[in-house]
Amino acid sequence: MKKIVLLLLVVLPSFIFAQSTFDKFEDKDEVNSVIVNKKMFELMSKVKIDAKDKEMQQYLTLLKKLDNLKVFTTNSTKLSSEMKSSVSSYLKSNPLEELMRVNSDGKNVKIYIKSAGSTSIVKELLLFMEGDLKDTPTVILSLTGEFNLDELSSLTERMNLPGKDELKKASKK
Amino acid sequence: MRNLILLLFLFSVVTLVSCNNKPTLQKYFVENTESKDFVAIDLGSDIINTEKMSLTDSDKEALKSFEKMNVLAFKKEDSNKNNYNVEVQKVKTILKDTTSYNELMKFGSGNDGASIYFVGDDEHINEFVLFANKKENGFAVVRILGNDMNPMNIMKIVGLIQKSNIDLEQLKPLQNIMK
Repeated sequence: MKKIVLLLLVVLPSFIFAQSTFDKFEDKDEVNSVIVNKKMFELMSKVKIDAKDKEMQQYLTLLKKLDNLKVFTTNSTKLSSEMKSSVSSYLKSNPLEELMRVNSDGKNVKIYIKSAGSTSIVKELLLFMEGDLKDTPTVILSLTGEFNLDELSSLTERMNLPGKDELKKASKK
Repeated sequence: MRNLILLLFLFSVVTLVSCNNKPTLQKYFVENTESKDFVAIDLGSDIINTEKMSLTDSDKEALKSFEKMNVLAFKKEDSNKNNYNVEVQKVKTILKDTTSYNELMKFGSGNDGASIYFVGDDEHINEFVLFANKKENGFAVVRILGNDMNPMNIMKIVGLIQKSNIDLEQLKPLQNIMK
């Protein structure tokens, strides 16, 4: 019994932590944030706009599979380094697989994923882009759900997300 | 089994009753409509001028689901600066109640922000809540009330609003705030 309690005490904080690692950036003055919840994706996927459009269809089927989207961007040096450290501490507690890393035009992009077993289904995607803070901001993008990587480009294109070029490259692999 | 149902019933009664004591947006609107810091605007569904349009049946159905829109806006001035933070906090606390308000999405940049919530379930939405704040100007809460609204109908209504010549005269006070 004692052991179980102890185990819970050890495991629980990591769950709570995992949820809120990046949420702390939400209320910071110098951070721009966008948060889209599962409910929103559900509602959006129920809108039947033009079902003939193949790309649109793909987009709608993808929406159904998404849970949460969080994007935080900043141009502040201090917050940028805070973001960096919270990403690395997040990766320590939630090991994700590095999908790719790109270093070009003054930005350093890393994309991590958590895949479900050996399939191509992705459960979590984390993009961290370290910008030069002048032209390119530092970005954390976290997306959870159960989706296919190659479906993702339709979303990044439509929502005009930061790091979409990199995600597009990643999804073509 | 019967005991279980009874228990569930009792539980739901208790939660429902306790809900009534919680601050709700409805109460908040009522309390502040008269306040001089606030601008309140109520719009009925007749704001969408459909007379000259030919409506399909599904358009009509969509319109029927929409009842009214209530806007409550806080106009920030030097004299009520301190109230601003208090009132923003009040609204935020009300909206944090996730059992009644489902957060759809939010975006923000420190001082400014906007968020969207709904009340009800996916296919039967009774209320949409938009909350937007801008530190320099104030904040606004918009409630879109209806009966069994669903995402499809919302899209229809938005389309109809674009097509109809909405009488924007009624929204003038808001413009002044958001300037």
